Amino acid sequence: MWTRSVSAGYRCSGCRSVGPKGIWSSHAVRACTAPALPAGRITALQAMDLWRRHFEERGVKEPDHSSHYIVAHLLGAKTIESLEQGKLTEFLSREKTEQMWKLCTRRLSRMPVQYVIEEWDFRDLTLKMRPPVFIPRPETEELVEFVLTDLEMRCGTGVGADTQHTSLEVGCGSGAISLSLLKSLPQLRAIALDQSQDAVDLTRENASRLGLQDRLQIHHIDVMKDAGIVLSLCSPVSALVSNPPYLFSEDMASLEPEIFRFEDHSALDGGEDGLKVINQILTLAPRILSDLGRVYLEVDPRHPPLIQRWVEANVEELHYVETRHDITGRPRFCILQKREVKQGPKLDLD
Amino acid sequence: MSRLFPSIRHIYSVSSRVVWRGSPYISPLLQPLPTGLTCVFAAGKKELIDLPVLNEDELEEQFVRGSGPGGQATNKTSNCVVLKHIPTGIVVKCHQTRSVEINRKRARDIMREKLDVAYKGELSEVLVKKKESMLRKQEKKKKAHENLERKRLFKEAQVADSKPGNDTV
Repeated sequence: MWTRSVSAGYRCSGCRSVGPKGIWSSHAVRACTAPALPAGRITALQAMDLWRRHFEERGVKEPDHSSHYIVAHLLGAKTIESLEQGKLTEFLSREKTEQMWKLCTRRLSRMPVQYVIEEWDFRDLTLKMRPPVFIPRPETEELVEFVLTDLEMRCGTGVGADTQHTSLEVGCGSGAISLSLLKSLPQLRAIALDQSQDAVDLTRENASRLGLQDRLQIHHIDVMKDAGIVLSLCSPVSALVSNPPYLFSEDMASLEPEIFRFEDHSALDGGEDGLKVINQILTLAPRILSDLGRVYLEVDPRHPPLIQRWVEANVEELHYVETRHDITGRPRFCILQKREVKQGPKLDLD
Repeated sequence: MSRLFPSIRHIYSVSSRVVWRGSPYISPLLQPLPTGLTCVFAAGKKELIDLPVLNEDELEEQFVRGSGPGGQATNKTSNCVVLKHIPTGIVVKCHQTRSVEINRKRARDIMREKLDVAYKGELSEVLVKKKESMLRKQEKKKKAHENLERKRLFKEAQVADSKPGNDTV
């Protein structure tokens, strides 16, 4: 039904010259050659099957998920399941076929699906994605749940809905966390920081698309270098949230090409013990948080006991509340709270 | 009950990390409606049905995200949720959306419907509503067909009347 000619295949433009181990192997070269565009018409289902097989042959991970999400996006849906019955067996227009080939060829170079289709979902939001800004991970959806539960409780009690609550996010990336919080809590104000201009731009873009820009302040700040500026930014916040770079430097080299080649390494590398940025956030936290305000961190599974010990030794004002596990059962989230500053006469004991 | 497991494992590749996690934390935001009520869409109309409430202690969740450390070190797009109800052995699989949290919530909604059918059998409201909706559709079809027939006969009668030689005095 369609001609397949290796010589007619074209190279994908997304291929970098350096693989994860720094070697431009012949396998990598072969991996980038796409099948030729079909001569005749094909259906979406046929295109999906063809590319799934091609991804498999070329060692592209998640071959079926990749082809599914790309085809769905091509046909204006988020998932294959949500497509109208019969849409998959309709013939694709020439334009759509070429678009399919263009998108799948990008995936051949191991570009993550989220960058290929330039969007992804996080909880109930659809966000624009653009390399090298860090792609939100599913685990982080749960981090948001913890913050929301606490804030909802605080918003609903005491002084009532008039109490202005503010959240501060360090390392906002595409804006997933802050925008999720804003969407779910109409009374919340949020401040988002990132040391990457690309991230700041993308967060701004996503905020506008979602109509949340009025309640969000975004700043291009490096929390490692410009701590003073961070402290001058805002009055005490109720929640300090972060999915900071937490990978161990020695683990960076073994990352999948999807991550190593396309995502910002400074959004991933947390230094030798993965705690470089985390420790800085915890050091600054008492001066950023209101009394009883909380820190919510996503971390490496090895971190929780290390963080607890470190905080007990170095940040007296913070109390380690608990460690929570992620959807795969790994210890993933650390919750800490700023101790209440006790008022009253000081006892002079000799 | 255990015979369901071999078939589940068959779906996923050997390299997948399979973790059964009990009593997961569910945010109030994603919980189904309280007191056993939930919304079921039947024939395009929302109807409140009294479905069984889920006890998280009786559920186990499975997430297939591939092997590896997860978190920032992984960037996979698979977010399928498999929910198992331990007492009955009923298993629900959901990958309807691109969000894991939403898939978890939907898996629970589907589980409630399945439990309703399992507990109440024929009397299950889910089945009753489905049957009613089907009957309504059949009635509609029947009426539409009858209407068409009536129109056709009327037209034929008109044509017959307009033919010459049929004038009545």
